[in-house]
Amino acid sequence: MSVFMDLNVPFTDNHELLQQLIQTAAHLGYSTVAINYMFEPSAKNKQVPVPADISQLIGPLPLVQGRSRPIRVLHRLTVVVSDPAHFVTRANAEEYRPFNLLAVQLTSEKLFHTACLQYDVDIISIPGTEKLPFFFKRAAINGAADRGVVFEVSYAAALRDSTRRRYTITNALSLMESCRGRGVILCSAAEQALELRGPYDVITLGVLFGLCDADSKDCVSSSCRSVLLHAETRRTANGIVSTRRREGAGPLGEAVSAKRAKVI
Amino acid sequence: MRNTDEKEETSVYRRVVLKNSSPYHYMRVCLVVDDQRIRPSVVELKNFIITGLRTLHGQAGAAINFDVLKYEEDSLTAILRIYSRGLVKLWSSLTLISSYENHNCAFRVNQVSPYLLALTGNSRDLQLD
Repeated sequence: MSVFMDLNVPFTDNHELLQQLIQTAAHLGYSTVAINYMFEPSAKNKQVPVPADISQLIGPLPLVQGRSRPIRVLHRLTVVVSDPAHFVTRANAEEYRPFNLLAVQLTSEKLFHTACLQYDVDIISIPGTEKLPFFFKRAAINGAADRGVVFEVSYAAALRDSTRRRYTITNALSLMESCRGRGVILCSAAEQALELRGPYDVITLGVLFGLCDADSKDCVSSSCRSVLLHAETRRTANGIVSTRRREGAGPLGEAVSAKRAKVI
Repeated sequence: MRNTDEKEETSVYRRVVLKNSSPYHYMRVCLVVDDQRIRPSVVELKNFIITGLRTLHGQAGAAINFDVLKYEEDSLTAILRIYSRGLVKLWSSLTLISSYENHNCAFRVNQVSPYLLALTGNSRDLQLD
């Protein structure tokens, strides 16, 4: 069984609040959290934020409940893309390298389609605070699932007022309908410690969003782990070395014909 | 299905055998409010949970039958009994409750089990040396 993760804890300048959030997450049983830096590119502001050092930010890391080892804290960048020029599509862009995870939030259907099929990101964020201006297309969703990109639904907006709760549930339900429960993660996006919920509460919330029990559990555990692995390969893989045995190199080379490597 | 030990009629213990899935689920929940002075009574707590059910699931949700078996007012911890069919509805509405009398609050679900006996102890509270 994989451990529970919460891959969206918004960054605030208030260090005490952030410390409280991480402490609560550790107490609730999350083994990994990611501090999220929002970045909205515009004509004036093109400076990508720089992540702060974790030890300065929160001091000694709290122990995870039930595992007696410190919580792991990662950095995540969410780029709000409203124009194709806002996102640097070049692989391994220098600006995004300090962050462990890279997410995008899209504002139009065309951008959503491009992001699903082409953008080199780990997470596509589905906002819970507003009604989406487009429907999810099966082709885009399947393309994202094939590339290992996941969709993120955050639940903190649902705790704030009834309108945003309705939007969160609507967006989540329509997403679950098109992706059939695969490649989705559930995150908190909590700004206060009391907005965080325990992993099993979030799993039940996933059932409310139309997932089955097993898929819902994957949303906070194994899907999050595959996101981390995807991010790791995205950051480190710069090229591919492929090796092939030479024809007739030795006795092994003349093995049974069925086992011989196919030459394309 | 219930088998009562007939030999000891005076015994207060009763053996209960469940052959199918249990009809009830039991939850130990703890209410955390940011203002420490707020101490709802048991009636207020039940009314608060029903209000939460109604806001998320409507009238049909508010009609779900559940009981508060025990409530400790000093630690704000309660044991709830709910028909297994309504468990997800009750649990999800507890998750989405976020304010009590204009104060931020949260329900922390500590234990959930189909057997009441399982709530007698919690291995997470043990102090291991």
